[in-house]
Amino acid sequence: MISSISFLNRVCVLLFASFLCLSGCTSTKEEVRREAHTRGVEFSIAIFPIENLSGTMAPLKEIERSLTNRLNTRGFHVLEEEALEKFMARNRVRYTGGIDQPMAQALRKETGAEGVLITSLELYSDSNPPKIALTSRLVSTGDDPVILWIEGVGFAGDDSPGILGLGLIEDPRALLEKALEMLAGSLGEYLDKKTEREDLKHLGKKFRPKASYRSDILDTDRKYTVAILPFVNRSARKNAGEVMLLHFVRSMKKLEDLDVIEPGVVRQQLLALRMIIEEGPSLANADALFAILNADLILTGKIMDYQDYQGTYGSARVDFSAQLIERKSRRVVFSSVSHNEGDDGVILFDWGRVNTAHAMASQMTQLIGKMILEDSKRVQGTKGSSGQAK
Amino acid sequence: MKTRIIPKRISAFFIFVLLTACATGGDTYRDQNMDFGSVQTIAVMPFVSLARDNIAAERVRDVFINKLLSTGAVYVLPVGEVARAVARAEIANPSAPSPEEIIKLAGIVKVQAVITGSLREYGEVRSGTSAANIISVSLQMIETQTGKIVWSASSTQGGISIWNRLFGGGGQPMNKITEKAVNDLIDKLFK
Repeated sequence: MISSISFLNRVCVLLFASFLCLSGCTSTKEEVRREAHTRGVEFSIAIFPIENLSGTMAPLKEIERSLTNRLNTRGFHVLEEEALEKFMARNRVRYTGGIDQPMAQALRKETGAEGVLITSLELYSDSNPPKIALTSRLVSTGDDPVILWIEGVGFAGDDSPGILGLGLIEDPRALLEKALEMLAGSLGEYLDKKTEREDLKHLGKKFRPKASYRSDILDTDRKYTVAILPFVNRSARKNAGEVMLLHFVRSMKKLEDLDVIEPGVVRQQLLALRMIIEEGPSLANADALFAILNADLILTGKIMDYQDYQGTYGSARVDFSAQLIERKSRRVVFSSVSHNEGDDGVILFDWGRVNTAHAMASQMTQLIGKMILEDSKRVQGTKGSSGQAK
Repeated sequence: MKTRIIPKRISAFFIFVLLTACATGGDTYRDQNMDFGSVQTIAVMPFVSLARDNIAAERVRDVFINKLLSTGAVYVLPVGEVARAVARAEIANPSAPSPEEIIKLAGIVKVQAVITGSLREYGEVRSGTSAANIISVSLQMIETQTGKIVWSASSTQGGISIWNRLFGGGGQPMNKITEKAVNDLIDKLFK
């Protein structure tokens, strides 16, 4: 009996000692902040005002402030709002959805910011269940604006309802915070490791293009530079062409064999060439863009449907076609047509349902990116277009 | 005597009825003198829409171009290049160009054939309490050397079936029947 008590006492003493030792390893919040500060201080970021592509009213200032606070808390050096406003007024910056070369040079020279964070709001709905979709990218400043990091999030309050609806998010602010936390976390991870490549294994097969063509002119061993043009918008959704462009920029950036030109640079050159693309670029347009942007490929397309729904009932819908033109051959080397609805392939209890067009378009464009780089000679289409001449 | 004739007539009637099942729709025309193997590059002109949906013709044209490219048999010019050629050739109605206009267009874009099309029906049709989606497309291929029609076909998919009438359901989605119609037309082209 005595021996068992002494054994218990020994265990207690050991546990207490180990607890004391472990408490020495903890650090206070202030220490974490200081550590993060020393980590991120080398890279200074300017946060551009949020670009609203949602076509609805949204609390843009609030989103911007919340994002700035999150990055400040993580210890990143964010350029002060006043300094940025002065810079924007001095340089007459009105477009905040991208950055061109002269602006990137001026930003580096005048403010010392090494990167600019460009965020676009794609969807904001505060009716129950709330929905939000954001795409954010970090572009380097200086002589050559390059996309360093890009991430997008699309959430609906009823994405994961759980048992008895315990997982439902009914407060739009809570959903917004969740989305911003994810973006800030991803950016923090990138700035720590300086790498970002996404695993493409988890993409649903149902989001593959319904018909596609890939020419064997495309060399899988070569690294290409691609310029993505805004998609021709034939949908009822405002700014759907720009939204689709961002999806493709994000998907292509994740691929190692493709370098994506910053959309702000492409936009500046389109304006400089006074090029209005109504149906898609002609070969003469493509030649001019290849030369001025020093690109190997031009991606263009048409968006027929890009629809989110309000409330609980409905289905998100995305329908588009994409074409890739190659510089040397002046030919279409990849072409695809994709369309999906949020409840495609859903049989029971809404399993596998996608509630936002953003989440769906993201998977659809990633699969297209993957198919462009696939080594197979020709990607098989659906029944009736077997890839062989009959 | 009469009893022998009647079974013969009846069996002849049944054979005739059965043979009608082997008949083709007769909605395809092929120029027997045309060498379709010589067609390497095609320009697909904007389709004319006779349906209520304004962008339906553009949607069907997009699907058709992609499906045709995915066969690997021919190369289809990008739509932007076709639009530029149409503007340069000053074609007033690109959905129905004249033979002279087609010859002029071919001089600009170097294609061996031009495809024109019309969308006759696209969307929902109703009959009583039943409703279903329907598509009806017709296409023509015109040789650019002579400006002659060398192939023509049409396809109709969807519509109200007996199943729809009995059990409802609304038919198949629009995208699905569009793909079916386009696949049918491509099968007819390469037959």
